[in-house]
Amino acid sequence: MRRNRRGRFFRRLLWLTGGIVSACSLLFLATVLASDSAPDHVPSYVSWTAETVTAASSGDAFRGMLLARRCDHCHGAEGFSDRASTPNLAGIDKLAVWKQLQDFRSHKRISRVMEPIAGSLSSQDVEDVVAYYAKLPVFTDLQDNRAFPQARPDANHTAVALHLVSFGDGGRGIPPCQACHGPVGYRPGVPSLMTQNSEYLFNQLSAFANRERANDINMAMRTISTLLTEDERHALAEYYGAGLGLQPGSSK
Amino acid sequence: MNWRKLRVFLLTVLALCLIPATRWYQIDEPILRYFRASHDVDPLALHLSGEFVESNLGTEQNSDGSVTVRMIAQQYLFVPHCVLVPAGVPVHLRVTSADAVHSLAFNGTEYNIKVLPGTISASRLQFARPGEYKTMCREFCGAGHYAMRSALKVVPRDQFPALQPGERGTCAAQ
Repeated sequence: MRRNRRGRFFRRLLWLTGGIVSACSLLFLATVLASDSAPDHVPSYVSWTAETVTAASSGDAFRGMLLARRCDHCHGAEGFSDRASTPNLAGIDKLAVWKQLQDFRSHKRISRVMEPIAGSLSSQDVEDVVAYYAKLPVFTDLQDNRAFPQARPDANHTAVALHLVSFGDGGRGIPPCQACHGPVGYRPGVPSLMTQNSEYLFNQLSAFANRERANDINMAMRTISTLLTEDERHALAEYYGAGLGLQPGSSK
Repeated sequence: MNWRKLRVFLLTVLALCLIPATRWYQIDEPILRYFRASHDVDPLALHLSGEFVESNLGTEQNSDGSVTVRMIAQQYLFVPHCVLVPAGVPVHLRVTSADAVHSLAFNGTEYNIKVLPGTISASRLQFARPGEYKTMCREFCGAGHYAMRSALKVVPRDQFPALQPGERGTCAAQ
């Protein structure tokens, strides 16, 4: 009687384990098959939840300063690059640089130079470097910034760019740049362009328009840069690259 | 029991209930869904998975001849920026917001669809005549609100491209 009962218990246990194991494997197979059947293009794995924002903005700037010494060669010791095709990082919002580094790490943004460098950093390193660059000063008096501006304002282009930056183009549905890139409004992960290099900006706008760069969430910059003409892309890049975004009064 | 106090209380409650009833015509269906907290989608993760991933935006051909259009409204853009639909066919519009409250209005029609984050605003539209309708945001959404415009192109049914089941149509592809 007693042995019989124990046998029944073990048989039930066997059935239960078998059931659980087979259910788990079926579930696993189903998820694998489902992920195979829907190859959606994900622009970036970053999503601006509260946890992401906290993680991206909790770096140690001092440790970042030590780590950032290997960025000096291209991005400059003070965050201003000597080459106009390389972005300036001085004073740039933490979330913006953090997102780009995450995208380089997950190969969502393509760069032969930056992908291996970002891949060699740990999550903590990324947070720290980002915190360091956000602390570097940007001076409104352009003479005080190192290697910036590198472009000269062009009178014809400036008027076009100033209109796009401050008003956009309602007829074509182009929003004003300053509504998201500052100083009027900011959105999480959107960089300030006020001290950005002209050639870099033009390359990025073109890359968005040609879909060579596709790591913008919900296709915002891909849509806008497709609406801009090539002349307007040049004008905008020159406007910011000449430091006019930092000193809007000087454009008159 | 103080009947006088109870009567005053009940009348107050009744009067308060009447306020939304008199303004019922101003309340949109998506807003009610929003307050019922029936969150259909995560506005911060639209691009990661679900109905509003990039490859699913645009016009989808249904088997019954109607089309489904999926759009995202965000500060300060509608994506896709230009939508292509055939004329005289039911258009099932499904739109959601990635950030603030927007509204999707088609100039020259009475359609004005409120778009809220976390909620899918589903509506059935029909455009009889071919042409281009300007689309605009009619709910103040921030500094770039007045430039938040796009277009809806209505083409005759024979000019609308035949879409494969996985394919989504926009003006750019035409």
